[in-house]
Amino acid sequence: MRLAVERWDPGEDQIEVQRAPEPGVAGGAYRAFGETLRGLKTTFARVIEGVHTIQYPEQKVAVYPRFRGRHKLHRFEDSDLEKCVGCSLCAAACPADCIRVVAAENTPELRISAGERYAAVYEINMSRCIFCGYCEVACPFDAITMGHDYELSDYNRGDLIFTKEMLLAEPLDQTPLRAQGE
Amino acid sequence: MPRPQPSEITFSIDGREVKAPEDMMLADAAKLGDIEIPVFCYEPKLGPPVGACRMCLVEIEGMPKLQTACSTAVKDGMVVHTRSERARVAQEAVVEFLLINHPLDCPVCDKGGECPLQDITFGWGGGKSRFIEPKRHFRKPLELSPLIAIDRERCILCYRCVRYSQEIPEDYQLVLLERGAESFVGTFDGHPYVAPFSGNIVELCPVGALTSRPYRFRARPWEIEDAGSICTLCPAQCNTRLTVRDERVLRVLDRNHPEVDDGWLCDKGRFAYQAMHVDERITSPMIRDGGVLREVGWDRALAEAVGALRRGGSATAALAGGGATNEEGLLLGRLLREVLGSSHLDSRDGEAVSLPHWRALANPKLAARVSDLEFAHAVLVLDCEPLDDMPILDLRLRKGARRNGVKLLIATERASALDSRADAAIRFAPGRGAELAWALAAALRGEPVDAAAQAAGIATDDLHALADALRDAGREIVILYGERVLDGDPGALLALADALGLAEQDGGGLLGVPAVANGRGLREAGVTPNAGPGLGLPALAGGHGAREIARRLASGELTALYLLQVDPVLHYSDAELWERALARATTVVAHASFLTPGLREHATVIFPAETSPEKEGTITHPDGRVQRLRVAAAHAGDVRAEWRVLAEIIERLGGAPTPPTARALSEALFEDVPFYGGLTLDGLAGRGLRWPELQVSNTLSDAYEEAEPKLRKPLRAAKGKLLVGTYRSIWAAPEVAASPALAFLTPRQRVELAAADAEALELRHDEAVVISDGEREVRARVVLRAAAPAGTAFLERELEEDGANVLRGPHVTIRTVASVEAEAAALIAAEEARAAAETETLAQAEAEQVT
Repeated sequence: MRLAVERWDPGEDQIEVQRAPEPGVAGGAYRAFGETLRGLKTTFARVIEGVHTIQYPEQKVAVYPRFRGRHKLHRFEDSDLEKCVGCSLCAAACPADCIRVVAAENTPELRISAGERYAAVYEINMSRCIFCGYCEVACPFDAITMGHDYELSDYNRGDLIFTKEMLLAEPLDQTPLRAQGE
Repeated sequence: MPRPQPSEITFSIDGREVKAPEDMMLADAAKLGDIEIPVFCYEPKLGPPVGACRMCLVEIEGMPKLQTACSTAVKDGMVVHTRSERARVAQEAVVEFLLINHPLDCPVCDKGGECPLQDITFGWGGGKSRFIEPKRHFRKPLELSPLIAIDRERCILCYRCVRYSQEIPEDYQLVLLERGAESFVGTFDGHPYVAPFSGNIVELCPVGALTSRPYRFRARPWEIEDAGSICTLCPAQCNTRLTVRDERVLRVLDRNHPEVDDGWLCDKGRFAYQAMHVDERITSPMIRDGGVLREVGWDRALAEAVGALRRGGSATAALAGGGATNEEGLLLGRLLREVLGSSHLDSRDGEAVSLPHWRALANPKLAARVSDLEFAHAVLVLDCEPLDDMPILDLRLRKGARRNGVKLLIATERASALDSRADAAIRFAPGRGAELAWALAAALRGEPVDAAAQAAGIATDDLHALADALRDAGREIVILYGERVLDGDPGALLALADALGLAEQDGGGLLGVPAVANGRGLREAGVTPNAGPGLGLPALAGGHGAREIARRLASGELTALYLLQVDPVLHYSDAELWERALARATTVVAHASFLTPGLREHATVIFPAETSPEKEGTITHPDGRVQRLRVAAAHAGDVRAEWRVLAEIIERLGGAPTPPTARALSEALFEDVPFYGGLTLDGLAGRGLRWPELQVSNTLSDAYEEAEPKLRKPLRAAKGKLLVGTYRSIWAAPEVAASPALAFLTPRQRVELAAADAEALELRHDEAVVISDGEREVRARVVLRAAAPAGTAFLERELEEDGANVLRGPHVTIRTVASVEAEAAALIAAEEARAAAETETLAQAEAEQVT
């Protein structure tokens, strides 16, 4: 057993620490103004660049076309029937467990969707949703897609459960899309 | 018929050495080695395999061609390959072939997610199809019955449903129509497939061709929870698997228990879950206020009930029935005997049966298992109709007779659904089961039978033929009896068991069918007038049976009545006496799910009752199997656990404290009932335990002295009158009427007549008639039945309207509604004419006076 421990040599990891000048007349003045002015150089340089602030909510950030925002449910354009048949595959795929589907049967008098069944209840809890887009991938009928809207805040959690009617309706404001190359 | 004892062999499958019983089918034996062979048509419950779907092709060394694993029995030294190149190519080809006509509507199909076709296509299919021709098309979805939807496009023609219909309930209704590629499943002439066990085909179908209409589009397999439970709608206590979504039961599936239900369910058990969630169900406490039932809070209702019971004191009686658990029975016994000081409590209709009789009947040596019905040498069905009283046993008896050659002998008052399967069937006079048992015991012992045979209303030749058939059948004999047979003289059945030497046989014995689901458990928990928990001596002697309770209530000797899930006006015989009894009683406290006639008119406090998915506790199967109920779904509305309600009442009345949890209460029950000693809730697990098989110190002694037969007077034919017999249909239950899907099966009163009687009375089929016993009347429609015994009219009991419970018999007259109305019209006309004549004479007299 060795009695003395060798002094550890940090080798190349050793760096020199930069220290401020010692207090004194010249050094003190530099400490008071020099470094401050060096910092302000960046500030004044940005002042002349002009305004970068986006005036939200009057002005909105444009999103990429593949941005995954609030979901949309779709209808067939010709027959106006809902594309969703209430198969619940989106609910199965959802990792956040935020989709609830209750299906019902179409009748000749009340035809909602193209298949035998339709979604009587289709709810997405937006406060839980992580916008992963798996529901869109799972949907066998392209009935649900991720839209571009990201303005989903509200005053209480209950209002963040979006119903089928809300998801089928067009959003009130169109979120601007980024132009190509923008 | 001794049970088969196959020897064990070793075979090789995919390089694994696996031990399996000899002659087991390869598809099953492979599972013992953790290897799955895909199957569609194979289902061991349906009997011998047919090899129709070809999905299970495997390569067996030494056999030139691929073999179907479902129909090849495993032999010692067999070498099997399930994933060899040849087998794989064949499996992929079969999947591709089966999918030729199968539509790809999985997102719409109810089977999606739990579909063997999906799973097998994914696991064994090639993932591609070369088939581009149009698929075959049918109109879809069609109603096969009000309960089942059929989608023929999805059918892969595996024959399971058709085989089920022909092999299991033997109703022969489902058939394959047309030939070859044109075949499709249907019924003759397209009439609906309505049968007591039709729902099982939904569960058998390996694709989405047969789906349940009540469950249609309700939930997906990943949105539901499974919960094991037990159906408490009849004594069969079938094990079930509940599909629960959002705390609501949406579907009932079987949970195969070979010793209870053999994996089948009746349609009542399968579809009556709907009654849990209907508006008619009582979900909050009610009290009678100013003659009208009004919903109140729990505190108010409990205070009302406690006050009334305190006033009732030892003049209180109690009845239990329905699906009340053993624990509830135990608490009811404590409430009556220890708190109120009354011993008048019962769980069955009729006169009380003495304690020695109950103890002798519960003797483990005499107890038969349910599976004994399938393997005994002979089964005697005595005074019960399995199809109505314990439906699942109907299938078990058919299975035994069909597959194992069990001799089926039937002695009932009414024609039985099993008659066509039976080796011998005799009819006795209504209500004379005990006399028949005496007569049969005498015939078996070689004693004179004339008196008993006459009292039972049977010919001695028939009786000797039945006795000879029983004697010749073999040693192991099971007597499946309805508990009604105990009404005349409970000793008769024991004498018959003695004459057959049932106590000495392992594979035979007695199996009693009580009238209510947990009849046996309630009795063993102490809800019987002359026995405490465990058929011991009661804490308080001098209790009266149900019939005597009714008489004493009607005479005012008893003043209060506690009803645990039973309405005597609906469920017990002599409804008129009960009607008077309830009207006279000052207090009627009831636990109920539905407002049945007696409660609607007379209950003073009603507590909402739980349904079996909401309950926690234990129940006892008629063969002594203690089974455990667990909470599967949330209580509807304001419903509270019934044992807690009973415990609260006991506490408020100053009784001993009740254990604080359901588990502790069950343990208290196992302590109180000596022969349940050694049971634990964890030991019961999901399958239950039969206490007659437990090696606990048995407190039931063998000492039973046979007494002299007590025979009633023979029933004499009366001119222009018929004897009246009653029966309860499988569909006579408030749950059936309340379930939207089953409501179409709700029975209406019909009177079954033999053709000769109908001719003599000049009645036609389906004619509206009035049946009268001189004082009370019941309206019904005539049904002519070829198998109906002449001289007897059969009517349904326990109907909400026109139930035969009101008739006292034994004789009734039958007249057409038309003739009764004509008579009434004639009476009115005569009355009017008389009144007119009177006014005329008066007018004349007045005129004379004036002049």
